[in-house]
Amino acid sequence: MESSILESIGVEIIGVMSPVSICMLLVVLLVYALSPSNPFSAAASAPPIRTAANLVYLESPSDSASQKLEGALLNALVFVVLIAIVTFLLVLLYYYNFTNFLKNYMRFSAFFVLGTMGGSIFLSIIQHFSIPIDSITCFLLLFNFTVVGVLSVFSGGIPIFLRQAYMVCLGIIVAAWFTKLPEWTTWVLLVALAVYDLVAVLAPGGPLKLLVELASSRDEELPALVYEARPTVPRNTQRRGSGLELLVAGVSDSGSVELQAVTRDNVNRNENESRGNSEYSAVEFGSFGSEGHESNRDEGERLLSEENARDRQSLSSDSLGYSTVIVQSDRATQFSSGASEIINEEMSPLVEMTGLGNEREQLRRDGSEMFSKGIKLGLGDFVFYSVLVGRAAMYDLMTVYACYLAIISGLGCTLILLSVCHRALPALPISITLGVVFYFLTRLLMEPFVVGTATNLVMF
Amino acid sequence: MTIAAGIGYALLALGPSLSLFVSVISKKPFLVLTVLSSTLLWLTSLIVLSGIWRAFLPLKSSTWWPYSILIFTSVAFQEGLRVLFWKVYKRLEDTLDAFADRVSKPRLYLTDKMQIALAGGLGHGVAHAVFFCISLLTPAFGPGTFFVDRCSKIPFFLLSALIALAFVTIHTFSMVIAFNGYAERNKVDQLFVPIVHLVAGMVTLVNFASGGCIIGIPLLYFIAILTLLHCGKMVWRRLTENRGRQGSM
Repeated sequence: MESSILESIGVEIIGVMSPVSICMLLVVLLVYALSPSNPFSAAASAPPIRTAANLVYLESPSDSASQKLEGALLNALVFVVLIAIVTFLLVLLYYYNFTNFLKNYMRFSAFFVLGTMGGSIFLSIIQHFSIPIDSITCFLLLFNFTVVGVLSVFSGGIPIFLRQAYMVCLGIIVAAWFTKLPEWTTWVLLVALAVYDLVAVLAPGGPLKLLVELASSRDEELPALVYEARPTVPRNTQRRGSGLELLVAGVSDSGSVELQAVTRDNVNRNENESRGNSEYSAVEFGSFGSEGHESNRDEGERLLSEENARDRQSLSSDSLGYSTVIVQSDRATQFSSGASEIINEEMSPLVEMTGLGNEREQLRRDGSEMFSKGIKLGLGDFVFYSVLVGRAAMYDLMTVYACYLAIISGLGCTLILLSVCHRALPALPISITLGVVFYFLTRLLMEPFVVGTATNLVMF
Repeated sequence: MTIAAGIGYALLALGPSLSLFVSVISKKPFLVLTVLSSTLLWLTSLIVLSGIWRAFLPLKSSTWWPYSILIFTSVAFQEGLRVLFWKVYKRLEDTLDAFADRVSKPRLYLTDKMQIALAGGLGHGVAHAVFFCISLLTPAFGPGTFFVDRCSKIPFFLLSALIALAFVTIHTFSMVIAFNGYAERNKVDQLFVPIVHLVAGMVTLVNFASGGCIIGIPLLYFIAILTLLHCGKMVWRRLTENRGRQGSM
């Protein structure tokens, strides 16, 4: 029996949704495990942390609603402005080719996030579950964890799976910190960020739009923390080779290897595309066929590794000694600068599924370009989805499920739009809007209804 | 009761659907998407219903007739949604078939169609279990448990997990029955599903009587098993017919 098409449709979508789901699940578990069970205990009454997200106004439970709203609005405004400034700074640096600086800065911030913030979260886990571990072991483990994380962020020769895992880790850690913000500030902040995301990606002159365009015109990877949903398991193990071999190949004569691979690509796809592809073959050496050409995938995988390896070669001597001034805001900003650069050239089954783009499909079928760069999702999206769900987890489990479903369906909508629009889209607005709406609907409407019927054991 | 009890209740309600998910659904991304969208549809229906009923809440828990109206409206609404879901699915099937032709893969098999129906039903069932049972389970993870007055022998969480399991079964397999009924234009199957849903909802009203859960839950399981048997018989019939047709070709 030939395999049915059910197995080949939607792989990319699931490839993005599952890490997001894992990230949200872990954040919810973390919030549940670490939130003090007794609201009047010492931990709960500890002073709230002061971050860039609540610079202006520190919420206290005794304030009136209007005071809270006003303060939260101010907080959100300041935070968004900070983010905008830093993103513009990033764009400026990138424009003047400070790419190495940016990459090292990203490495430094990954180090900082994993080391200090992650460390403090591990510490509180250890305290909460009273895990017996001595400080030296703990420090060693943490250091190793951090160093591997930093290496995996921009370097080649590291399995893509590890890189993805570290991206999810970073998302979890930052989101867990953001859930410590007070309630009103969180909600207003989320909405403000969604709006900012919309503007920054879509408006002409928006910083993220500029960044994406610059990166694609220079044919480089984005200098930001971005989750890539590339296939994690190369089928052909022999092709994977060792990191050393890749490194050597990349340094010695990468150009010819690329060229060779590209021609092979075309041969594999045979037919008339080789000419039609010429511009692609120049641009998208890191792309792979989205439809079952395993060898091509491996080729793409390997090429990317080589590319990265070259990068690492040229960068390896740089040190990590950059200092940051407003660490908190910088970090957040740089995550959200990764927000929502979903770049995707896939000709997608999605278009088919929704039945939206038949003509387009017809056109593409003739060219039969099965190219895909994989879907990329900014780490900022991970973070703020998880923040929303984590905040919902502080109320009730029911709101968590509702928000999770809303966010995932929002993400699905964004991906469908992506396959229609073929350009970078903001991933926050739809999801966050749906999430916030479902949260309040669930909290205000559904909960009394469900609790009322379920406690009477009436169900349908 | 502690974490063990909480996990136990959750697995009681969702264990069978979890194994269904792992064994059938999770290997095919499209089915996962179907489960998610069907869950979302059910959640939306629940929100709309609670929006309508919000004005009348809280209902007095001493009288049972307002609840019967509530169940009737809810079931009617959800069955309406099922028809809508079918219509959407029908269009989806056409586009999927067209897509399969284009990439020169085989069209949807009969088993594929049934799996899509199963995924849709599983989404409904899981949504039911999650919102009516799992979301109330938070206290079960802590110390202590909770009893309802009318059924003072069995903990509330165990009761709701049992009921949720029955409903998950009913929802999951009645979707397969319904889709098949629509596809074959079989009036019996088309009517079977709403009636089973309504009867199952009404049976939970038995729980209003003191000690009623002793009778209500076996009745509910009787209905669930009936649905399961009907679904099994129908799928068997379709598959043998299909094989016979393929063999004769």
